[in-house]
Amino acid sequence: MTAPSPVLARAEALLLTDRPQEALAELSRLPADEAVEVPATLLRCAALGQLDRWSEVVEAASAGLAAAGPHPDLLWHLGRAEHRLGRPQVAERALLDGLAQAPHDVDLLCTYADVCAANGQVDKAAKLVERAAAVEPEAPIVYATRIQVAYNRGDDRAAERISREFVAAHPENPAAHALLGGTSAARGRLDTAYEGYRQAAASRPTEQAFAESALELRIARHPLMLPIRPVLRFGPLKVWLGVILVVFGLRAAGLPTISAVLGLLWLLLCVYSWIVPPLVRRWLRRNWH
Amino acid sequence: MQDELFSPTIQERPAPGRPPWRPESILYPAVFGGPLAAATLGVLNGRRLGLAGHRLLVVGAAGLVGFGGRLAVSAAVDGNSAVRLAGMVTGALVWLAVLFFQRAPFRVYSYRGGEPASLVGPGFAAGIGFGVLEAVLILVLVR
Repeated sequence: MTAPSPVLARAEALLLTDRPQEALAELSRLPADEAVEVPATLLRCAALGQLDRWSEVVEAASAGLAAAGPHPDLLWHLGRAEHRLGRPQVAERALLDGLAQAPHDVDLLCTYADVCAANGQVDKAAKLVERAAAVEPEAPIVYATRIQVAYNRGDDRAAERISREFVAAHPENPAAHALLGGTSAARGRLDTAYEGYRQAAASRPTEQAFAESALELRIARHPLMLPIRPVLRFGPLKVWLGVILVVFGLRAAGLPTISAVLGLLWLLLCVYSWIVPPLVRRWLRRNWH
Repeated sequence: MQDELFSPTIQERPAPGRPPWRPESILYPAVFGGPLAAATLGVLNGRRLGLAGHRLLVVGAAGLVGFGGRLAVSAAVDGNSAVRLAGMVTGALVWLAVLFFQRAPFRVYSYRGGEPASLVGPGFAAGIGFGVLEAVLILVLVR
């Protein structure tokens, strides 16, 4: 094999510094025969993927596969793009074709796990990501997929724990901070969540998803949401049972007036927590764009 | 070697029906309306989430057991506050059963970009309607 062309090396460097648009421009300067080879196609797919141009990823990966024959990395790009486009069965086909050639490929295993998790097969997703974790436990995609699978299973505690491990292993990775933000928010730890999003948005200000999460968190931290914070922090069930116990305990202790006032206040808070959050969300969203 | 994990299992998605409610939100009508309100909303929401029939049956049965418990308390204890407390506690317990079955499917639904439907209207309807129904049944049956 010859040394990689300087064009490819430049395109790769641009990709690594989050400049996919310039990487694409660089790739377009390749001669026609080199442009359809696997290395160039992989870089093009990665750049288009960073730009969320998924249907073009499908085109590029398919062209590369037609030229080079089945290749696990190209099949991974194809499968991931089809998954993002909402065609899970096509995605599954591509990813399984890739896994037939490279059964221990961490990217293929994790993306297939993600497809399964998004289609209600969380148990299979967990097994797939376990297998990826046995191969490369420290890979960012393995952490991210384990967190997503745990969250989709409803296991917030595990999701938060794995997020902490992710941040500890990759403190420079913005996705790690964003995931810690998301899983902390799910457990009502709004300050940790804010810190996570802040770090993620600071290290990658162009990422739409981080900005979106930061907005969700701004909603949760809005002053009008302050009365609902205990419910977010401790979960509704504990707060409810606590209030019920206090209200009926006060009555049993011979303080019916205080008990009635407390019950009424709680009732008002419930109505408040039903009506105000959607309004705050709508209000902040409208003023955000 | 044929690897079981590597065989295709993704099904064609069923045509999107009515969007589900957020299962966590059912706690409110459950506590105010009692176990029957919780179970009814739970079963309806389970159908929207495409849950298997036996899970819906468990939720429905939990609602009936919860209401049975409330009836037993009402028969055993004098005083309205115990009857109300029993309705709140059994309602919350039935909601726990609803949450147990519906939390993960709802997260999968939102992970695919689905938005929850608003529970405000149905929640008030179920909370008030079943709350009154349970009160009438308690009056007729055990008081």
